[in-house]
Formats: sequence, C-alpha cells, structure tokens
Amino acid sequence: MNAERKVLSGNPVSAGIAYAKAYVYYPQELRVTKSYFPEGEEEKNLKVFHDAFACASKELDGLYESLRREDESKAKIFAAHKEILEDEEILDEIQMAIEEERMNPEFAIEKVFHEFADLLSKVADPLIAGRAADLYDVKNRLIRICQGKEERNLAWLSEDVIVIAHDLFPSDTATMDRTHVKGIVTEIGGANSHSAILARSFRIPAVLGVADAMTEIPDGSLLIMDALSGELVVYPSEEEIQVNEKRKQEFLKKKKEEEQYLDKPAVMKDGTQISIGINVGSAEYDVPEKQYDFVGLFRTEFLYMGNNCLPSEEEQFQAYKKVVERAKGHPVTLRTLDIGGDKTLPYMELPKEENPFLGKRALRLCLSEDALFRTQLRAVLRASVYGPLKVMFPMVGSMEDIYRAKECVERAKESLRAEGIAFDEDIKIGIMIEIPSIALIADLAADEVDFASVGSNDLTQYVSAADRMNPGVTSYYQNYSPAMFRLLGHIFEAFESRGKEVSVCGEMAGNPQAAVALAGLGAKKLSMSAANIAGVKAALAGVSLEEARNIAEHCRQIKTESEIKEFLGI
Amino acid sequence: MIKREAEIVNKTGLHARPASDFVLAAKKFESKITICKEGGEPVNAKSMMRLLAECIGQGMKVEIAAEGVDEAEAVETLVALVESGFGE
Repeated sequence: MNAERKVLSGNPVSAGIAYAKAYVYYPQELRVTKSYFPEGEEEKNLKVFHDAFACASKELDGLYESLRREDESKAKIFAAHKEILEDEEILDEIQMAIEEERMNPEFAIEKVFHEFADLLSKVADPLIAGRAADLYDVKNRLIRICQGKEERNLAWLSEDVIVIAHDLFPSDTATMDRTHVKGIVTEIGGANSHSAILARSFRIPAVLGVADAMTEIPDGSLLIMDALSGELVVYPSEEEIQVNEKRKQEFLKKKKEEEQYLDKPAVMKDGTQISIGINVGSAEYDVPEKQYDFVGLFRTEFLYMGNNCLPSEEEQFQAYKKVVERAKGHPVTLRTLDIGGDKTLPYMELPKEENPFLGKRALRLCLSEDALFRTQLRAVLRASVYGPLKVMFPMVGSMEDIYRAKECVERAKESLRAEGIAFDEDIKIGIMIEIPSIALIADLAADEVDFASVGSNDLTQYVSAADRMNPGVTSYYQNYSPAMFRLLGHIFEAFESRGKEVSVCGEMAGNPQAAVALAGLGAKKLSMSAANIAGVKAALAGVSLEEARNIAEHCRQIKTESEIKEFLGI
Repeated sequence: MIKREAEIVNKTGLHARPASDFVLAAKKFESKITICKEGGEPVNAKSMMRLLAECIGQGMKVEIAAEGVDEAEAVETLVALVESGFGE
C-alpha cells in the first residue's frame, strides 16, 4: 500500500469535517449478459421472474417496516420503490420480453428498467428525473435476487468510516449505519443528487464529484475530509490531524450558535437590516419562507439542460409561476438563460469556440436567437401576474446590450398585448454585473435599469483574467483582491446614489466574513445558497454598520488578496 | 370507449402524491384506461412511471379514456378526482 500523503478535492454538498478510515464501497457486481432461452422454457423463466418479484416485494416491505419506526420520511423511499416494482407497464413489458422474445429474466429486467429510467431522466423537472436513480435501485434488487446473491449495503459497519463510492443508491443511503458513517465521498453527483440531499438531512459531511476517488483513496487509509472547502487529505500528517480536529470542534460549536439566527431577519448590532436572498436552481426549492427575504437568483438553465428539446413557453410559464407562488410574496429575480461557456445543450448546436467564456454566452447568445429569447421572455411576463417577478440579464457588457435586451422585452410585451394575455406592465428589469466593462460604467447602467445583481464569481474571473475552472490558475483567481473591493464599492455607490437596488449573488455573498465587508461597502442585499444563511446572519449580527464600514475601508487599502483574507479571517 | 377532458387544477399537478392517488384509483377498474395530455400520446393510466414521464402540471388539459366493462364509471371517477384537486 502506498502510504503517501495525497490531496483530492470535490464539491462540498453537506458541510462538516471528519477524520476516519476510508471504506471503499464497491457495489455488488451485477453483470447481466444479453441472452435468450430456448423455446418451451417460457413458463420456467416467467416463474424465475415472479419469484424474484415476490422476494423483492418482501424485502421492500421489511425495509419499510424497520425504517418506519425510526424515520417515516426515510421509510417512504421504500414505499416508492414498491410502487415502482408494482408498476403495471414495467411488469407487462418484462413479462412480454420473457414470453415473446424469450429473453432471460435478468436481461429482460435490465432492458425494460433502462428504458423507463431513460424516459424519466429526460423530464425537465429535476425531482422526476431524479427518480431514475430509484428505478436503477429496484432493478438491481431484482437482478441480485435472480442471481441468488445476498443484499450488500452500508447498514452494519464495525467502526467509524468515511464511505468512498462511485455513487450511492437511495437504498444505500437510507439504510446506512449513521452512527459509524462519518463522511461520504463519491465520484459523481452534484448538490441536488440523491446522495447530497440525504447526506444533508442526516447531517453527514459529504464531498461529491471527486474524480477517481475509488482508485485514488486506498481502502482502510486514514483520511481527513473538509466538507466546507471540499478538500480531502489521504494519510495526513500528525499536525494536520490536530488542526483538523480543532477545526471540527470549532465548526460544531459555531454551527450550533448560528442556527439560532436562521429564522430571524438579518439585523446588525446597530439595527441596520440587510436583506437576505436565496439562489435557487429549480422550481422545487425547499427553503422555509422565514429564512429569506427574496429570491435573488432564480437560474433557469435546469429547464433547458434537463430536457431533450427546447422547453415550450407553456412549460416555462408553469415552472416560473410555481417559483413565484412558492416564494409566497417574496420578490423573485429570474435570470434569463445563461448557456455557453461551460454549459451546453445536448440538442442545440453551438459553434465551438476557442475561448467559450469570452464567447457567445448567455445574453449574447439569446440576442442572436430571437425565437428562443422571445419564448422565455413571454413565459416570464406571463408568470409575472402571479407575484412580484423581476427579470435579469446575464453577461451584459455594454449599454447597447441593455438597450437591445430591453427592446426584446418590449416586443414580447407587445405580442402578449396583441393576444390579450395578462402580464405585469411594470415588470422590473435588471442586469447581472459580471463583466468589468459594465461594472466601470455602473452609473450609466443604473440610469437605464431598475436594479442590478453582482455575479461575483464571474466578475472575479473577468477582472483577474483567470479561468475559475482551471486548476493551474487558482491562485490568480482572486475573489478577495483589492481590485474587487474597489470595483464593488464603485458599483454599490453608483446604484445607491440613483436610488436603484443592487445585490450580490455570487459566492462572496454567502461567506460570513465577506458578507460583513460587503455590507460595509454599501450592499443592502445579499443572495446566497440556503446553506449559508445561518452563518451570514450570525456574522452580520456580530457587527454594527459602522464597524463593517471600517472593515470595508480597510480592505480597499490593503495591497494583496492574502492580506485581505487574513484580515477578514477567510 | 368513453373519453372525457379534464383540467389539472391542483398545484403539484400529476406528480408525487396526486400521481400515486391517480394510479391507485385507476387500478381499481378493470377497463383499459389511458390519459393523454394536450399534444401528447395516450399513456397507460395505471402506470406511475408513464404518468410521471408525461410531466403533467397545473393548468394543463388531459383526456382520460377507458374501454371495458366499467368504462363509464372509471372515466367519471378519475375525472372527478382530477377536478377535485386531490385535496390540495
């Protein structure tokens, strides 16, 4: 075994810190060969399937019962699996494949479940698409039973471990031995995957999307996991272990303190209130309304990316309406399609570019695709009658961009008027500030729009000329550079002096220390992912506006990012 | 065969619990039952997975059709269920 220290990283999706032995979890090998049986054996093979079906049904009942006493919501996963198992169409198709095509039962199960999972994964609604994972889970159960194998899972572990897996199935996470699993690392999966949602609800730290984790992390090796930064250290030094333990205790203590701020408005020591927004990426977000004041960034890409064709106006309208209604009167800022750069659409041919981040991205693309943009704008306008909805354009670089985008809104309004369809005539129009050329003329822009939101991630990228995806230039990508502080101060001032609203919706806004500095610079609205709300509210409660102003002023004068970070304690 | 149109009035649409309720109700009848959203193809109303894949949301119109011994009752019951808003 190679006992060399190694550092890996991924997406921290469930905050926390852990130190334990790695448990590399190989799912059961369930290889299915494409095979057929000879004529005349139909009855025998149908019986194999029916027996497996009965056995799976019994297993699921057992899991449901044993988990129900502990946690009804986790038990529901197995009730849903039973529903899948008993799905009439799936059963019919498997039986037909066995009877008529003489497919071996395992092969028939594999094929039919795959088809259905495929069908669901193409649905735009991420909650439905996510059910494809449950279909695979039920399929594996049936195949395992056909192959006469015992169930393998994470239910009984003898010591504390960090589970390392390619991906976890819902049944793995639901039955997981929670006293011994101290962390979860997977090779694939994002913040909205099954594993992420369950890890958060179990409060188990999780880092997902760690490339080659299963081969890079030896089974049984000791591992530090920082699910705040997303960093993993295999075979850490004695010193690192101690530092980690200290950080863990601090994290737990802080977490407890912060939680008391969650449901209260963000009020600073002197009574100044900061508006707290949330960033959401689907119509199904689930944040209690007390925790936030507005939806500062509603990303609409999910409608386009999780689909096999462009979403219709009706489909978009339904999704936007849903979000507006879910926000229960809180204003919602919808960002129009931000595609291009690192995000592409499988069904839309976009020209290959040398520098996609400097290319035809977001608004630039929308302005050249009339029909696409019109469809989205009409859907947004139609949804605007159901609650306070604002529209915001990403990647605005010049006044011309603003004029052209506003013209498009005007034309969409006219077409709706002509058809007698209701919409909010006074819908607020705003821009993302993420390109330096618009940031520098924020005063001119503020005259032309109703509001702006600073996308600090992209703004940093363009200000520092460093690709945030490129690991080779991480040290050049400086969120907290003095240049950023000066530029942000300029933007806030320009909008503030014209009485126009401005917010920050990048990662900076969700960092408690940075949030204080931003408030000091003049930001009155901060929008972040829901997981950061408690921390930001707690940090703001700890200072007065005057103190925050002093902190911000100091940041403007410091010469390097590392000094600023040290000063802020980031 | 009997067909009738209905509008989805509940917020969730035919997802989650309402979809379950709908499929369970459909399974109580012997007739072959399909549900078809505007511009779509009819799918088996007794299959939860088919129903979910259709992604039927609030405000959409669907056509429910049944064929068999209890077709009239089936269509009537399911249309009433959809129009009741599934108790939301």
